[in-house]
Amino acid sequence: MIQRVALVLAAFALLVIAGCSKAPEAEMQAANNAINAARSAEAEQYVPNAFRMASDTLNAAMAAKNEQDSKFALFRSYGKSKEMFIRAQALAEEASAKAAEEKERVRQEVTNLITEAQAAIDAANAAYAKAPKGKGNKAELELIKTDLAGVAAQFEEAKNDFNAGKYLTAKSKVQAVMQKANSITEEIATAAGMKK
Amino acid sequence: MAGCQEPPSASLERAKKALEHASNMGAIKYAETTYRSAEQLVQQGWMEMARQKGRLGPFRNFKPADSILNLAFETANRATEEASTYVRNSEALIQAERTTLKSELSEWKEGLNGALSRNKVEHYWNAAELAYRTSEILLNNREFDEARKMVAEGKESLKKMAEMITAYDNDDSSKIHIWRRWVAETVESSRASGRYAIIVDKSKHRTYLIKGGKLIHTYDSEFGYNPAHQKMFSGDGATPEGKYYITEEKGYGRSKYYKALLINYPNASDKVRFEENKRKGYISKRARIGGLIEIHGEGGKGRDWTEGCVALTNKDMDHLMKYVGVGTPVTIVRRSDRWP
Repeated sequence: MIQRVALVLAAFALLVIAGCSKAPEAEMQAANNAINAARSAEAEQYVPNAFRMASDTLNAAMAAKNEQDSKFALFRSYGKSKEMFIRAQALAEEASAKAAEEKERVRQEVTNLITEAQAAIDAANAAYAKAPKGKGNKAELELIKTDLAGVAAQFEEAKNDFNAGKYLTAKSKVQAVMQKANSITEEIATAAGMKK
Repeated sequence: MAGCQEPPSASLERAKKALEHASNMGAIKYAETTYRSAEQLVQQGWMEMARQKGRLGPFRNFKPADSILNLAFETANRATEEASTYVRNSEALIQAERTTLKSELSEWKEGLNGALSRNKVEHYWNAAELAYRTSEILLNNREFDEARKMVAEGKESLKKMAEMITAYDNDDSSKIHIWRRWVAETVESSRASGRYAIIVDKSKHRTYLIKGGKLIHTYDSEFGYNPAHQKMFSGDGATPEGKYYITEEKGYGRSKYYKALLINYPNASDKVRFEENKRKGYISKRARIGGLIEIHGEGGKGRDWTEGCVALTNKDMDHLMKYVGVGTPVTIVRRSDRWP
Protein backbone atom coordinates (compact mmCIF):
# COMPACT_ATOMS: atom_id res chain seq x y z
CA MET A 1 0.00 0.00 0.00
CA ILE A 2 2.75 2.46 1.05
CA GLN A 3 4.63 1.49 -2.08
CA ARG A 4 1.60 2.29 -4.22
CA VAL A 5 1.08 5.67 -2.55
CA ALA A 6 4.75 6.50 -3.09
CA LEU A 7 4.46 5.61 -6.76
CA VAL A 8 1.34 7.79 -7.22
CA LEU A 9 3.07 10.73 -5.48
CA ALA A 10 6.18 10.30 -7.61
CA ALA A 11 4.05 10.18 -10.76
CA PHE A 12 2.19 13.31 -9.61
CA ALA A 13 5.48 15.11 -8.86
CA LEU A 14 6.78 14.20 -12.32
CA LEU A 15 3.58 15.50 -13.89
CA VAL A 16 3.97 18.79 -11.99
CA ILE A 17 7.62 19.11 -13.04
CA ALA A 18 6.78 18.17 -16.62
CA GLY A 19 3.97 20.77 -16.61
CA CYS A 20 6.30 23.55 -15.44
CA SER A 21 9.04 22.51 -17.82
CA LYS A 22 7.03 23.27 -20.94
CA ALA A 23 8.86 26.07 -22.79
CA PRO A 24 6.73 29.21 -23.33
CA GLU A 25 7.07 29.09 -27.12
CA ALA A 26 3.72 30.78 -27.83
CA GLU A 27 4.48 33.63 -25.41
CA MET A 28 7.95 34.06 -26.90
CA GLN A 29 6.51 34.20 -30.40
CA ALA A 30 3.86 36.71 -29.34
CA ALA A 31 6.48 38.94 -27.68
CA ASN A 32 8.73 38.75 -30.75
CA ASN A 33 5.82 39.68 -33.01
CA ALA A 34 4.96 42.60 -30.75
CA ILE A 35 8.59 43.86 -30.89
CA ASN A 36 8.63 43.60 -34.68
CA ALA A 37 5.34 45.47 -34.83
CA ALA A 38 6.79 48.22 -32.59
CA ARG A 39 9.82 48.46 -34.88
CA SER A 40 7.51 48.78 -37.90
CA ALA A 41 5.63 51.51 -36.04
CA GLU A 42 8.99 53.40 -35.88
CA ALA A 43 9.02 53.16 -32.09
CA GLU A 44 12.84 53.15 -32.21
CA GLN A 45 12.75 56.69 -33.65
CA TYR A 46 9.70 58.15 -31.95
CA VAL A 47 9.83 56.56 -28.44
CA PRO A 48 13.34 55.07 -28.11
CA ASN A 49 13.19 54.60 -24.32
CA ALA A 50 9.90 52.70 -24.38
CA PHE A 51 11.17 50.55 -27.23
CA ARG A 52 14.45 49.83 -25.43
CA MET A 53 12.59 48.77 -22.29
CA ALA A 54 10.46 46.31 -24.26
CA SER A 55 13.45 45.03 -26.17
CA ASP A 56 15.53 44.57 -22.99
CA THR A 57 12.66 42.73 -21.31
CA LEU A 58 12.38 40.42 -24.30
CA ASN A 59 16.11 39.76 -24.21
CA ALA A 60 15.96 39.08 -20.47
CA ALA A 61 13.03 36.70 -21.04
CA MET A 62 14.95 34.87 -23.73
CA ALA A 63 17.99 34.67 -21.46
CA ALA A 64 15.83 33.22 -18.69
CA LYS A 65 14.40 30.68 -21.13
CA ASN A 66 17.85 29.88 -22.45
CA GLU A 67 19.07 29.28 -18.93
CA GLN A 68 16.28 26.78 -18.33
CA ASP A 69 16.83 25.14 -21.73
CA SER A 70 20.39 24.39 -20.68
CA LYS A 71 19.33 22.62 -17.49
CA PHE A 72 18.63 18.94 -17.10
CA ALA A 73 14.97 18.39 -18.16
CA LEU A 74 13.74 17.48 -14.69
CA PHE A 75 15.07 20.71 -13.18
CA ARG A 76 13.67 23.11 -15.79
CA SER A 77 11.18 25.78 -14.79
CA TYR A 78 9.91 28.30 -17.34
CA GLY A 79 7.47 30.16 -15.10
CA LYS A 80 9.73 33.22 -14.75
CA SER A 81 10.56 33.47 -18.47
CA LYS A 82 6.90 33.03 -19.39
CA GLU A 83 5.97 35.96 -17.18
CA MET A 84 8.76 38.03 -18.70
CA PHE A 85 7.66 37.22 -22.25
CA ILE A 86 4.14 38.35 -21.38
CA ARG A 87 5.59 41.52 -19.84
CA ALA A 88 7.79 42.13 -22.93
CA GLN A 89 4.78 41.73 -25.19
CA ALA A 90 2.80 44.25 -23.13
CA LEU A 91 5.72 46.71 -23.14
CA ALA A 92 6.17 46.32 -26.91
CA GLU A 93 2.47 46.93 -27.48
CA GLU A 94 2.70 49.97 -25.24
CA ALA A 95 5.71 51.24 -27.23
CA SER A 96 3.76 50.76 -30.48
CA ALA A 97 0.84 52.73 -29.09
CA LYS A 98 3.14 55.49 -27.76
CA ALA A 99 4.98 55.66 -31.09
CA ALA A 100 1.68 56.04 -32.91
CA GLU A 101 0.69 58.78 -30.45
CA GLU A 102 4.01 60.62 -30.85
CA LYS A 103 3.89 60.31 -34.61
CA GLU A 104 0.34 61.61 -34.55
CA ARG A 105 1.46 64.51 -32.33
CA VAL A 106 4.19 65.45 -34.83
CA ARG A 107 1.74 64.95 -37.71
CA GLN A 108 -0.77 67.22 -35.98
CA GLU A 109 1.94 69.81 -35.30
CA VAL A 110 2.89 69.84 -38.98
CA THR A 111 -0.80 69.89 -39.99
CA ASN A 112 -1.23 73.05 -37.91
CA LEU A 113 1.93 74.52 -39.42
CA ILE A 114 0.59 73.77 -42.91
CA THR A 115 -2.65 75.61 -42.04
CA GLU A 116 -0.62 78.55 -40.70
CA ALA A 117 1.62 78.55 -43.78
CA GLN A 118 -1.45 78.46 -46.03
CA ALA A 119 -2.82 81.47 -44.12
CA ALA A 120 0.54 83.26 -44.52
CA ILE A 121 0.51 82.53 -48.27
CA ASP A 122 -3.11 83.68 -48.54
CA ALA A 123 -2.21 86.88 -46.68
CA ALA A 124 0.74 87.46 -49.03
CA ASN A 125 -1.51 86.86 -52.06
CA ALA A 126 -4.14 89.21 -50.64
CA ALA A 127 -1.50 91.87 -49.99
CA TYR A 128 -0.26 91.39 -53.54
CA ALA A 129 -3.79 91.77 -54.93
CA LYS A 130 -4.28 94.99 -52.98
CA ALA A 131 -0.81 96.41 -53.69
CA PRO A 132 -0.88 99.76 -55.50
CA LYS A 133 -0.67 99.01 -59.23
CA GLY A 134 0.93 102.30 -60.29
CA LYS A 135 3.33 102.59 -63.20
CA GLY A 136 6.34 102.75 -60.91
CA ASN A 137 5.42 99.52 -59.11
CA LYS A 138 5.07 97.20 -62.05
CA ALA A 139 8.61 95.83 -61.88
CA GLU A 140 8.35 95.08 -58.14
CA LEU A 141 4.94 93.50 -58.54
CA GLU A 142 6.20 91.24 -61.32
CA LEU A 143 9.01 90.12 -59.04
CA ILE A 144 6.71 89.56 -56.08
CA LYS A 145 4.45 87.51 -58.32
CA THR A 146 7.31 85.16 -59.26
CA ASP A 147 8.38 85.05 -55.60
CA LEU A 148 4.88 83.97 -54.62
CA ALA A 149 5.02 81.27 -57.29
CA GLY A 150 8.33 80.05 -55.80
CA VAL A 151 6.81 79.96 -52.32
CA ALA A 152 3.80 78.04 -53.62
CA ALA A 153 6.10 75.49 -55.31
CA GLN A 154 8.06 74.89 -52.11
CA PHE A 155 4.84 74.61 -50.15
CA GLU A 156 3.67 71.87 -52.53
CA GLU A 157 7.01 70.09 -52.04
CA ALA A 158 6.54 70.29 -48.26
CA LYS A 159 3.02 68.88 -48.54
CA ASN A 160 4.32 66.00 -50.65
CA ASP A 161 6.89 65.22 -47.94
CA PHE A 162 4.09 65.36 -45.38
CA ASN A 163 1.92 62.97 -47.40
CA ALA A 164 4.88 60.61 -47.67
CA GLY A 165 5.12 60.56 -43.85
CA LYS A 166 8.34 62.65 -43.81
CA TYR A 167 6.94 64.93 -41.13
CA LEU A 168 10.19 66.45 -39.90
CA THR A 169 11.35 67.36 -43.42
CA ALA A 170 7.91 68.78 -44.15
CA LYS A 171 8.07 70.81 -40.93
CA SER A 172 11.37 72.48 -41.87
CA LYS A 173 10.17 73.32 -45.37
CA VAL A 174 6.84 74.68 -44.15
CA GLN A 175 8.66 76.89 -41.62
CA ALA A 176 10.81 78.36 -44.41
CA VAL A 177 7.71 78.89 -46.57
CA MET A 178 5.99 80.75 -43.72
CA GLN A 179 9.00 83.00 -43.15
CA LYS A 180 9.18 83.87 -46.83
CA ALA A 181 5.42 84.47 -47.20
CA ASN A 182 5.46 86.76 -44.13
CA SER A 183 8.45 88.68 -45.49
CA ILE A 184 6.60 89.21 -48.81
CA THR A 185 3.53 90.55 -46.94
CA GLU A 186 5.81 92.83 -44.94
CA GLU A 187 7.60 94.00 -48.08
CA ILE A 188 4.30 94.94 -49.73
CA ALA A 189 3.07 96.68 -46.56
CA THR A 190 6.30 98.68 -46.33
CA ALA A 191 6.07 99.65 -50.00
CA ALA A 192 2.39 100.64 -49.60
CA GLY A 193 3.31 102.68 -46.51
CA MET A 194 6.01 104.51 -48.43
CA LYS A 195 3.55 105.39 -51.19
CA LYS A 196 1.18 107.19 -48.88
CA MET B 1 38.62 23.19 -14.36
CA ALA B 2 36.30 25.35 -16.37
CA GLY B 3 37.39 28.74 -17.72
CA CYS B 4 35.36 31.50 -16.16
CA GLN B 5 33.01 30.73 -13.29
CA GLU B 6 31.33 34.09 -12.66
CA PRO B 7 28.62 35.37 -15.07
CA PRO B 8 29.92 38.49 -16.84
CA SER B 9 27.01 40.68 -15.68
CA ALA B 10 29.22 43.80 -15.65
CA SER B 11 30.22 43.18 -19.29
CA LEU B 12 26.54 42.79 -20.20
CA GLU B 13 25.60 46.08 -18.51
CA ARG B 14 28.53 47.86 -20.13
CA ALA B 15 27.58 46.58 -23.62
CA LYS B 16 23.90 47.53 -23.07
CA LYS B 17 24.91 51.04 -22.00
CA ALA B 18 27.20 51.44 -25.01
CA LEU B 19 24.35 50.34 -27.28
CA GLU B 20 21.99 52.83 -25.65
CA HIS B 21 24.55 55.59 -26.11
CA ALA B 22 24.96 54.65 -29.79
CA SER B 23 21.21 54.84 -30.24
CA ASN B 24 21.11 58.26 -28.57
CA MET B 25 23.85 59.47 -30.91
CA GLY B 26 21.70 58.60 -33.94
CA ALA B 27 23.50 55.37 -34.86
CA ILE B 28 20.20 53.68 -35.84
CA LYS B 29 19.94 56.25 -38.64
CA TYR B 30 23.53 57.15 -39.45
CA ALA B 31 25.45 53.89 -38.69
CA GLU B 32 22.68 51.35 -39.01
CA THR B 33 24.72 48.31 -40.10
CA THR B 34 27.23 48.61 -37.26
CA TYR B 35 24.48 49.41 -34.76
CA ARG B 36 22.51 46.31 -35.76
CA SER B 37 25.63 44.09 -35.43
CA ALA B 38 26.24 45.49 -31.95
CA GLU B 39 22.61 44.85 -31.08
CA GLN B 40 22.91 41.22 -32.25
CA LEU B 41 26.17 40.71 -30.36
CA VAL B 42 24.63 41.97 -27.12
CA GLN B 43 21.79 39.51 -27.57
CA GLN B 44 24.15 36.68 -28.49
CA GLY B 45 26.44 37.33 -25.48
CA TRP B 46 23.46 37.60 -23.19
CA MET B 47 22.03 34.27 -24.42
CA GLU B 48 25.39 32.55 -24.11
CA MET B 49 25.71 33.82 -20.53
CA ALA B 50 22.25 32.45 -19.77
CA ARG B 51 23.09 29.11 -21.37
CA GLN B 52 26.14 28.75 -19.17
CA LYS B 53 24.16 29.76 -16.09
CA GLY B 54 21.82 26.85 -16.79
CA ARG B 55 24.67 24.35 -16.74
CA LEU B 56 25.91 22.63 -13.62
CA GLY B 57 28.53 24.60 -11.73
CA PRO B 58 31.65 22.66 -12.71
CA PHE B 59 30.69 22.74 -16.41
CA ARG B 60 30.06 26.48 -16.61
CA ASN B 61 32.34 28.60 -18.79
CA PHE B 62 31.45 32.28 -19.11
CA LYS B 63 34.54 33.16 -21.09
CA PRO B 64 32.89 33.00 -24.57
CA ALA B 65 29.93 35.10 -23.31
CA ASP B 66 32.35 37.65 -21.87
CA SER B 67 34.26 37.79 -25.18
CA ILE B 68 31.07 38.29 -27.18
CA LEU B 69 29.88 41.02 -24.82
CA ASN B 70 33.25 42.77 -25.04
CA LEU B 71 32.98 42.63 -28.82
CA ALA B 72 29.41 43.99 -28.54
CA PHE B 73 30.74 46.88 -26.43
CA GLU B 74 33.43 47.67 -28.99
CA THR B 75 30.99 47.41 -31.88
CA ALA B 76 28.49 49.69 -30.15
CA ASN B 77 31.26 52.22 -29.56
CA ARG B 78 32.21 51.94 -33.21
CA ALA B 79 28.58 52.61 -34.17
CA THR B 80 28.66 55.73 -31.95
CA GLU B 81 31.89 56.87 -33.57
CA GLU B 82 30.55 56.20 -37.09
CA ALA B 83 27.35 58.11 -36.36
CA SER B 84 29.29 61.02 -34.82
CA THR B 85 31.67 61.11 -37.77
CA TYR B 86 28.76 61.05 -40.20
CA VAL B 87 27.03 63.88 -38.34
CA ARG B 88 30.27 65.88 -38.04
CA ASN B 89 31.21 65.38 -41.69
CA SER B 90 27.70 66.07 -42.93
CA GLU B 91 27.48 69.24 -40.88
CA ALA B 92 30.88 70.42 -42.09
CA LEU B 93 30.13 69.50 -45.69
CA ILE B 94 26.73 71.15 -45.74
CA GLN B 95 28.05 74.22 -43.93
CA ALA B 96 30.81 74.51 -46.52
CA GLU B 97 28.31 74.13 -49.36
CA ARG B 98 26.02 76.68 -47.69
CA THR B 99 28.92 79.12 -47.28
CA THR B 100 29.71 78.81 -51.00
CA LEU B 101 26.04 79.30 -51.86
CA LYS B 102 25.85 82.33 -49.56
CA SER B 103 28.89 83.98 -51.11
CA GLU B 104 27.53 83.23 -54.61
CA LEU B 105 24.22 84.81 -53.58
CA SER B 106 26.04 87.95 -52.35
CA GLU B 107 28.21 88.19 -55.44
CA TRP B 108 25.26 87.77 -57.77
CA LYS B 109 23.19 90.27 -55.81
CA GLU B 110 25.93 92.83 -56.28
CA GLY B 111 26.38 91.89 -59.92
CA LEU B 112 22.67 92.21 -60.60
CA ASN B 113 22.47 95.74 -59.22
CA GLY B 114 22.02 97.97 -62.22
CA ALA B 115 22.21 95.08 -64.69
CA LEU B 116 19.67 95.31 -67.49
CA SER B 117 18.64 91.69 -67.07
CA ARG B 118 18.04 92.07 -63.31
CA ASN B 119 14.25 92.08 -63.29
CA LYS B 120 14.12 89.11 -65.66
CA VAL B 121 16.41 86.90 -63.64
CA GLU B 122 15.99 88.02 -60.04
CA HIS B 123 13.33 85.42 -59.30
CA TYR B 124 16.04 82.76 -59.73
CA TRP B 125 18.11 84.58 -57.15
CA ASN B 126 15.13 84.70 -54.79
CA ALA B 127 14.47 80.98 -55.29
CA ALA B 128 18.12 80.26 -54.44
CA GLU B 129 17.87 82.39 -51.32
CA LEU B 130 14.70 80.58 -50.20
CA ALA B 131 16.55 77.26 -50.69
CA TYR B 132 19.47 78.63 -48.63
CA ARG B 133 17.18 79.59 -45.75
CA THR B 134 15.32 76.26 -45.87
CA SER B 135 18.62 74.35 -45.80
CA GLU B 136 19.51 76.11 -42.54
CA ILE B 137 16.30 74.95 -40.84
CA LEU B 138 16.78 71.41 -42.19
CA LEU B 139 20.36 71.37 -40.93
CA ASN B 140 19.29 72.52 -37.47
CA ASN B 141 16.75 69.69 -37.44
CA ARG B 142 19.56 67.25 -38.42
CA GLU B 143 17.89 66.47 -41.74
CA PHE B 144 21.26 66.24 -43.47
CA ASP B 145 20.25 64.63 -46.76
CA GLU B 146 17.35 67.03 -47.25
CA ALA B 147 19.54 70.02 -46.34
CA ARG B 148 22.09 68.99 -48.98
CA LYS B 149 19.32 68.54 -51.54
CA MET B 150 18.08 72.04 -50.74
CA VAL B 151 21.56 73.57 -51.16
CA ALA B 152 21.84 71.78 -54.52
CA GLU B 153 18.46 73.25 -55.54
CA GLY B 154 19.75 76.72 -54.64
CA LYS B 155 22.86 76.22 -56.73
CA GLU B 156 20.74 74.99 -59.63
CA SER B 157 18.65 78.18 -59.47
CA LEU B 158 21.80 80.33 -59.62
CA LYS B 159 23.06 78.23 -62.53
CA LYS B 160 19.83 78.85 -64.46
CA MET B 161 20.18 82.55 -63.69
CA ALA B 162 23.77 82.58 -65.00
CA GLU B 163 22.68 80.77 -68.16
CA MET B 164 19.96 83.32 -68.75
CA ILE B 165 22.41 86.20 -68.24
CA THR B 166 24.84 84.56 -70.67
CA ALA B 167 22.03 84.28 -73.21
CA TYR B 168 21.43 88.03 -72.82
CA ASP B 169 25.14 88.73 -73.22
CA ASN B 170 25.29 86.59 -76.37
CA ASP B 171 22.30 88.45 -77.74
CA ASP B 172 24.13 91.71 -76.99
CA SER B 173 27.26 90.49 -78.79
CA SER B 174 25.32 89.70 -81.94
CA LYS B 175 23.83 93.19 -82.02
CA ILE B 176 26.65 95.41 -80.75
CA HIS B 177 27.76 96.41 -84.28
CA ILE B 178 24.30 97.94 -84.92
CA TRP B 179 24.44 100.03 -81.73
CA ARG B 180 28.01 101.12 -82.48
CA ARG B 181 26.86 102.26 -85.93
CA TRP B 182 23.86 104.20 -84.57
CA VAL B 183 26.05 105.99 -82.00
CA ALA B 184 28.76 106.78 -84.59
CA GLU B 185 26.14 108.14 -87.02
CA THR B 186 24.56 110.33 -84.31
CA VAL B 187 27.92 111.73 -83.18
CA GLU B 188 28.99 112.35 -86.78
CA SER B 189 25.71 114.04 -87.72
CA SER B 190 25.93 116.30 -84.60
CA ARG B 191 29.53 117.13 -85.50
CA ALA B 192 28.61 117.95 -89.11
CA SER B 193 25.60 120.11 -88.18
CA GLY B 194 27.02 121.56 -84.96
CA ARG B 195 23.65 120.82 -83.32
CA TYR B 196 22.57 119.09 -80.13
CA ALA B 197 21.76 115.36 -80.01
CA ILE B 198 20.91 112.88 -77.27
CA ILE B 199 22.40 109.41 -76.85
CA VAL B 200 20.93 107.01 -74.30
CA ASP B 201 22.98 104.02 -73.11
CA LYS B 202 20.75 101.54 -71.25
CA SER B 203 23.57 99.35 -69.90
CA LYS B 204 25.30 102.38 -68.33
CA HIS B 205 22.00 103.87 -67.16
CA ARG B 206 23.09 107.17 -68.69
CA THR B 207 21.80 109.80 -71.09
CA TYR B 208 24.36 111.93 -72.90
CA LEU B 209 23.78 115.41 -74.28
CA ILE B 210 26.17 116.17 -77.16
CA LYS B 211 26.76 119.19 -79.33
CA GLY B 212 28.98 119.38 -82.43
CA GLY B 213 29.86 115.75 -81.81
CA LYS B 214 31.23 116.55 -78.32
CA LEU B 215 29.90 115.39 -74.97
CA ILE B 216 28.31 118.30 -73.08
CA HIS B 217 26.55 116.64 -70.15
CA THR B 218 25.77 113.22 -68.67
CA TYR B 219 22.54 112.38 -66.83
CA ASP B 220 21.83 109.31 -64.68
CA SER B 221 18.79 107.55 -66.14
CA GLU B 222 16.21 104.89 -65.41
CA PHE B 223 14.32 102.77 -67.93
CA GLY B 224 11.49 100.33 -68.42
CA TYR B 225 11.30 97.55 -65.83
CA ASN B 226 12.35 95.09 -68.49
CA PRO B 227 15.34 96.97 -69.91
CA ALA B 228 17.38 94.06 -71.25
CA HIS B 229 15.33 93.83 -74.44
CA GLN B 230 14.42 95.79 -77.52
CA LYS B 231 10.80 96.89 -77.18
CA MET B 232 8.53 94.37 -78.91
CA PHE B 233 4.98 95.41 -77.97
CA SER B 234 2.95 97.65 -75.70
CA GLY B 235 3.20 96.64 -72.04
CA ASP B 236 6.41 94.58 -72.26
CA GLY B 237 8.22 97.06 -69.98
CA ALA B 238 11.11 97.45 -72.45
CA THR B 239 12.65 100.77 -73.53
CA PRO B 240 12.90 100.87 -77.35
CA GLU B 241 16.31 100.86 -79.05
CA GLY B 242 16.72 102.88 -82.24
CA LYS B 243 17.22 106.27 -83.83
CA TYR B 244 14.44 108.73 -82.99
CA TYR B 245 13.83 112.46 -82.66
CA ILE B 246 11.82 114.68 -80.32
CA THR B 247 8.29 115.32 -81.58
CA GLU B 248 6.85 117.29 -78.67
CA GLU B 249 7.97 119.22 -75.60
CA LYS B 250 5.73 118.95 -72.53
CA GLY B 251 6.38 121.62 -69.96
CA TYR B 252 5.44 121.56 -66.28
CA GLY B 253 1.74 120.67 -65.83
CA ARG B 254 1.52 118.89 -69.19
CA SER B 255 3.18 115.67 -68.09
CA LYS B 256 2.36 113.24 -65.30
CA TYR B 257 6.12 112.99 -64.72
CA TYR B 258 7.12 116.62 -64.18
CA LYS B 259 8.25 117.54 -67.74
CA ALA B 260 8.67 115.38 -70.82
CA LEU B 261 10.13 115.10 -74.31
CA LEU B 262 8.03 112.83 -76.51
CA ILE B 263 9.90 110.84 -79.19
CA ASN B 264 8.66 109.35 -82.46
CA TYR B 265 8.36 105.74 -81.30
CA PRO B 266 7.28 103.68 -83.22
CA ASN B 267 9.39 104.72 -86.18
CA ALA B 268 9.33 102.98 -89.58
CA SER B 269 11.76 100.20 -88.61
CA ASP B 270 9.90 99.59 -85.31
CA LYS B 271 6.70 99.06 -87.31
CA VAL B 272 8.40 96.66 -89.75
CA ARG B 273 9.92 94.66 -86.89
CA PHE B 274 6.61 94.59 -85.00
CA GLU B 275 4.72 93.20 -88.02
CA GLU B 276 7.45 90.66 -88.70
CA ASN B 277 7.43 89.48 -85.06
CA LYS B 278 3.67 89.08 -85.26
CA ARG B 279 3.88 87.16 -88.51
CA LYS B 280 6.54 84.83 -87.10
CA GLY B 281 4.42 84.28 -84.00
CA TYR B 282 7.02 85.76 -81.61
CA ILE B 283 4.33 88.01 -80.20
CA SER B 284 0.57 87.66 -79.89
CA LYS B 285 -1.61 88.57 -82.85
CA ARG B 286 -3.56 90.82 -80.49
CA ALA B 287 -0.44 92.70 -79.33
CA ARG B 288 -0.26 96.44 -79.91
CA ILE B 289 2.92 98.30 -80.78
CA GLY B 290 2.39 101.02 -78.14
CA GLY B 291 3.69 104.56 -78.14
CA LEU B 292 4.07 107.62 -75.89
CA ILE B 293 7.73 106.95 -75.26
CA GLU B 294 9.22 109.95 -73.54
CA ILE B 295 12.27 111.24 -71.76
CA HIS B 296 10.57 112.46 -68.58
CA GLY B 297 11.13 113.52 -64.99
CA GLU B 298 10.42 111.89 -61.61
CA GLY B 299 13.55 109.74 -61.98
CA GLY B 300 16.17 109.13 -59.32
CA LYS B 301 14.42 106.09 -57.81
CA GLY B 302 17.55 103.99 -58.25
CA ARG B 303 15.83 101.25 -60.24
CA ASP B 304 14.25 100.64 -63.64
CA TRP B 305 10.57 101.28 -63.19
CA THR B 306 8.95 102.93 -66.23
CA GLU B 307 6.82 101.24 -68.90
CA GLY B 308 9.54 101.96 -71.46
CA CYS B 309 10.32 105.66 -71.06
CA VAL B 310 13.63 107.20 -70.04
CA ALA B 311 13.34 108.83 -66.60
CA LEU B 312 15.67 111.60 -65.38
CA THR B 313 15.56 113.58 -62.16
CA ASN B 314 13.44 116.74 -62.36
CA LYS B 315 16.58 118.86 -62.01
CA ASP B 316 18.21 117.07 -64.95
CA MET B 317 15.02 117.47 -67.02
CA ASP B 318 15.18 121.21 -66.39
CA HIS B 319 18.80 121.21 -67.50
CA LEU B 320 18.23 119.07 -70.61
CA MET B 321 15.19 121.02 -71.79
CA LYS B 322 17.24 124.21 -71.89
CA TYR B 323 19.23 122.79 -74.82
CA VAL B 324 16.97 120.49 -76.80
CA GLY B 325 13.59 120.73 -78.51
CA VAL B 326 11.41 119.32 -81.26
CA GLY B 327 13.56 117.70 -83.93
CA THR B 328 16.58 116.93 -81.69
CA PRO B 329 17.85 113.41 -82.54
CA VAL B 330 17.55 110.81 -79.76
CA THR B 331 19.51 107.57 -80.20
CA ILE B 332 18.79 104.80 -77.70
CA VAL B 333 21.14 101.81 -77.54
CA ARG B 334 21.40 98.88 -75.17
CA ARG B 335 25.20 99.23 -75.07
CA SER B 336 27.69 101.69 -76.59
CA ASP B 337 30.97 100.08 -75.64
CA ARG B 338 33.22 102.48 -77.65
CA TRP B 339 31.59 105.79 -76.80
CA PRO B 340 31.97 108.23 -75.06
